[in-house]
Amino acid sequence: MQRRSFLKIVSGLGVVSTLPMGLVRPAFGATPTRFLITVSASGGWDPTSLIDPKGNALRADGLGAINNYSTTQIKTIGNLRYAAYPDSVVPPDIGSAGHMDTFFAKHYKRLRVINGIDTQTNGHESGQRFVWSGRLETGYPSVAALAATPFAERPMAFISNGGYDYTADLVAPVRTAAGSTFASLAYPNSQFPNVPALIGAGYLSSPTYAAVQLARAQRLSSQRLTQTLPKRAQQLAQLEIVRNGDVSLEGLLNYLPEQVSAGLKGQAEIAIAAFASGLAVSATLNVGGFDTHADHDQDQSAALTTLLEGIDHLWQQIELRGMQNQVTVVIGSDFGRTPFYNAAVGKDHWNITSVMAMGAGITGNTLIGETDANFEALKMNASTLLPHSTGLTVTPKHLHRALRDFIGVPSALDAQFPLAVESMALFA
Amino acid sequence: MKTLAFRRFCHCVLGIVVTILWMQAQAATVDSTPSFNDPVLTIPRIDVEGYGALTLQLRMEDAQKLIFGISSANPAVPGFSPGATYSLQTEILSIPVLRAGASLYAVQLRLLSGEKFQVSSAVQTLLPGQEKYGQQCQGCHGSDGLGGAVGVTLKACANCGSVDSLVTKINDSMPLGSAQSCVDSCASEVASYILTVFNATSTPSDGLAMAALSVMPPSATLNAASMQLLSRMPTQGELELVASQGEAGLRKALKGMMEEPAFYVRLSEIFNDWLHTNRYLSNNGPEAALQLMRRYPNARWFDPGEALRDQNYQINRITTNNSVAAEPLELINYVVKKNLPMTKILTADYFMVNGYSAKSYGISNIAFADEWDPTEFHPARLPGLPHAGILSSLIFLNRYPTSATNRNRARSRVVYDLFLDVDILALDGVRPDGSAVDISSFAPTMENPDCVKCHSLLDPVASSFQSWNLAGRFVPKKNWYTDMFQAGFASSVFPVSSGQEPLQWLSEKIVADARFDTAIVRLVYKGLTGHEPLDPPGSDATTAEQEAYNAESELLGTIKASYVADNRNLKTLIAELVLSPYWRAQGLVNANYALVHEDTGAAQLLTPEMLHRKIAALFGFEWRGPLDQYAQALRAPGSARLLDTRQYFHQIYGGIDSFSITERLTDPNGLMVFVQERLANEMACYSVPQDFLSKKSERRLFPLVEMTTQLNSTSEQLAVRQNIQYLHRYLLSEELALDDPEIERGYLLFVAVQAEGKAKIGTSESKSLPNQCMRNNDMMTGASLNSGGVDGRLRDDPNYVLRAWMAVVAYLLTDYRFLYA
Repeated sequence: MQRRSFLKIVSGLGVVSTLPMGLVRPAFGATPTRFLITVSASGGWDPTSLIDPKGNALRADGLGAINNYSTTQIKTIGNLRYAAYPDSVVPPDIGSAGHMDTFFAKHYKRLRVINGIDTQTNGHESGQRFVWSGRLETGYPSVAALAATPFAERPMAFISNGGYDYTADLVAPVRTAAGSTFASLAYPNSQFPNVPALIGAGYLSSPTYAAVQLARAQRLSSQRLTQTLPKRAQQLAQLEIVRNGDVSLEGLLNYLPEQVSAGLKGQAEIAIAAFASGLAVSATLNVGGFDTHADHDQDQSAALTTLLEGIDHLWQQIELRGMQNQVTVVIGSDFGRTPFYNAAVGKDHWNITSVMAMGAGITGNTLIGETDANFEALKMNASTLLPHSTGLTVTPKHLHRALRDFIGVPSALDAQFPLAVESMALFA
Repeated sequence: MKTLAFRRFCHCVLGIVVTILWMQAQAATVDSTPSFNDPVLTIPRIDVEGYGALTLQLRMEDAQKLIFGISSANPAVPGFSPGATYSLQTEILSIPVLRAGASLYAVQLRLLSGEKFQVSSAVQTLLPGQEKYGQQCQGCHGSDGLGGAVGVTLKACANCGSVDSLVTKINDSMPLGSAQSCVDSCASEVASYILTVFNATSTPSDGLAMAALSVMPPSATLNAASMQLLSRMPTQGELELVASQGEAGLRKALKGMMEEPAFYVRLSEIFNDWLHTNRYLSNNGPEAALQLMRRYPNARWFDPGEALRDQNYQINRITTNNSVAAEPLELINYVVKKNLPMTKILTADYFMVNGYSAKSYGISNIAFADEWDPTEFHPARLPGLPHAGILSSLIFLNRYPTSATNRNRARSRVVYDLFLDVDILALDGVRPDGSAVDISSFAPTMENPDCVKCHSLLDPVASSFQSWNLAGRFVPKKNWYTDMFQAGFASSVFPVSSGQEPLQWLSEKIVADARFDTAIVRLVYKGLTGHEPLDPPGSDATTAEQEAYNAESELLGTIKASYVADNRNLKTLIAELVLSPYWRAQGLVNANYALVHEDTGAAQLLTPEMLHRKIAALFGFEWRGPLDQYAQALRAPGSARLLDTRQYFHQIYGGIDSFSITERLTDPNGLMVFVQERLANEMACYSVPQDFLSKKSERRLFPLVEMTTQLNSTSEQLAVRQNIQYLHRYLLSEELALDDPEIERGYLLFVAVQAEGKAKIGTSESKSLPNQCMRNNDMMTGASLNSGGVDGRLRDDPNYVLRAWMAVVAYLLTDYRFLYA
């Protein structure tokens, strides 16, 4: 009740042709030139198995080693460090982009790693909320939703593949399905949308279809004008907004691969096709398998392989469309995992985590933040971004303050969901 | 005794016209405490010798000088007690307790010439108990008593019926986690304060807010309820019941609907949106639920080994998995079906199995009427397992798992959230900054006040789950952590000596808590309206927001009381909600209440499941593609366009998988409107020829026209109009006069399409129907309609009549009234 949505206000007033964009003016003009993708490794990844490696040195408190690979096997490339595979794990094929050696060799120059982020929670729901909205409590939209808000009138402005996708009613989240489904939606009157030669064969003839659409629009407008119950009037107005969007999905089909991949790769293909065709501005990608309470080494390694393959595929799609300077990618997870193994050789939830970023505006080959030998966050000087005993512990709140500044969230929008915390140049 | 001044004052105001609405609103008012809602000061009752009991309203005319004029004076309605005095000698109006916002004042006003009153003194006052309330209760329940993220509203609360009841509640369990800090005289004073200040706070505006709504008449309500609860049209019997008995008939019809199997499908959807236990259905993995049953040797009873698997293997595998997964929702269905109190969903000492899941659990002592009927569920017990309703369900415990370090705290948070309507994470607004919290002690969650605030609530419930391990198995614990609060609930500590299982004890405590009823009301309200009840307004709330909340909470409080009084029968709750003006709201008769009723009403975008069922109910077949292939499609899993997640539209249209996606989309987006268009075009194509294949008396869509009916005569034109009128009623539940502009709009569409299409046949148009719309095979059997020397196929449309009707049907199927409940 206290924070009404823009959509509600607009439609409640009967203004249906445009959204109040003056309030959320795009940072870079009316046409989106910056795009944001967040990749959520759902379940809580283990940074010590990826970009904050510790090795098998025994902890002083008797809890054993953090990792089951030798400390001497920890890899360094440029300014980054990454983990080795645990002794019991058969690594993926070295030719696979999911192999850490291959992945980091290929991408380290564009990767920015932020370690030692304190999520202050070990609950999945709250962790996801904090990491992707900057607020531990409920009520803040995901950063991807914020990024899409200035372009909320676009039909697929914000694509969600699950995970934390709360939008605070700023923008309608769009969920996608298999690639072939898009053809049936791009040509909703076609009897044979997936047969190029027959796409024009409609259920209704073209003149009939046009007459139906005209009658439909006239009736909807009439209903909206005569409706007195605010909720119904608002719903009618909203329906009118999305129908009047003058949207064509045909452009999207031009950018989609003939066979859309499954899983994270498919999510990446659809997101980039939607960006390239001007339909979308931001997307959340989502991949699970990281909640490794048992048999951590095997399962976490497998999940990381899938993640790295997906990120690599995402970057290929970005390059394919020449959008390297337009798309920023942020990769993170609910939280981290314990710096010790449990009785089931698994790892439970741990509040310390990491984030990776790449793409437009990101200075790669950069490592920010540190954790100590027990995988506890070290404090950081807010200006130098170097460890400092009197500095501050970086939380997702700092992360989002920096990310919002970096992607240019309009000030009015930013002020609606304040993050009162030091501004740090974590992303640029 | 009477002075001229007061006579003057009374005479001048008693002549003021009393509006009917105002009087109606006053009749519902029972609070006697004078109040000031800028700029109006209301004294519900003041007794003046010679004039009797009056209700006065004064309006502030000069805010600087605090001068009021009298705006109305009416005989007070019965039920008020005097809240002010007027001295004829001193001409002083004295109000001992005047509520202004959350504050109380002792106010005196002096009579001026010209029938004005001026405030001569206003002293903020404290009632007995007010200070203690501020210290011990306000943090959770708010300064206005309207509740917050943790504390329930104290307005018309479950224990607010009497001082004794409220004192007992405070003595026993308040404040949460520290009940001993307010007992005896403290409890009495605080109870008195709560009842005096927060309760019976109906205001005239609450009544006016309700009066501002126009509601659906019984017949329309029946139609809407039938679609919402059963996804079908009302039966003739129900229509006659309502026609003959009005509201009473509607109530009877609703009760009857809740006996039908279809109602329990909808009920499970509503409750799954709350519990998300359908995460273990086979669409999230063929054995998503069975994987949780590794310790049951017969879990995969249906598998004879790879070499021996026959065609039944896959069916039995999926059915068994889904039977296991459905167990918590089936428990709810059972409780409702049997008219048991909803408390049983947590206290039942049994769980639910059908013939398939019974085999998996190794249960053989159930007498099934048909062990292969997947819908036949019975209560059952597992030996040695202390059932505690949903809380001990294998599915629930895995859906909300824990870990060795989490120690059931996640489960505890979910219990508060789901069953007590309390969001632990919202407690006190902001979580303490991690770096600032001292966690150096042995048990900071028990010792550091920053931590204790939440953990004193969270951990006793978490500890009550101590015997239920990470995999949801019952493994009695001999020792439990000593560095966290022990099993308990609120101020009660689990009595170890009782020999009871802590989770069973906890479930009894939870259902005895008034917040359990609130949680149930909230979830059913959301299920039926598509939105949550309003949150308590904050300190910066507008008057409209305050009024909206007051009106809604008043109504929900009344409905909750009816539900509780009827042995917590969920059917009663649903019936009362459906019959309420909030569910039946269809318009506003007073535009001044637009802000107050911004969220009022039950209109909601149909979920893909509801839309799927609505189509089936109206058309007699589901949206699965062309009808010539319908028989095969019915046997193909995943062919239902609105239910399939991967290839089709379930996810796009806002559906949930209860796993990675748990929130439904409630507003249409750019992709969803394309789904709507495709749905309309396809269903028009399939349904129009199909309907004309049937005898006229059996048609669903075209009972008033034939395929040969064109527009060549006045009678044909009338028939087309009448059939369009019929379609508005049948598809959109919209009653329109034959000369309504909306009928004309549909008629003109028919005219334009038929005329233009017919004229073009032989050139740009064919006499044949579009390929996918032709009817060549029997819909249900797939057999050719051209057999035995009888050609029953429908392939041609020589006069473009069918296609004109397809246009009309496609037009109506994208209508707001079709797509929204």
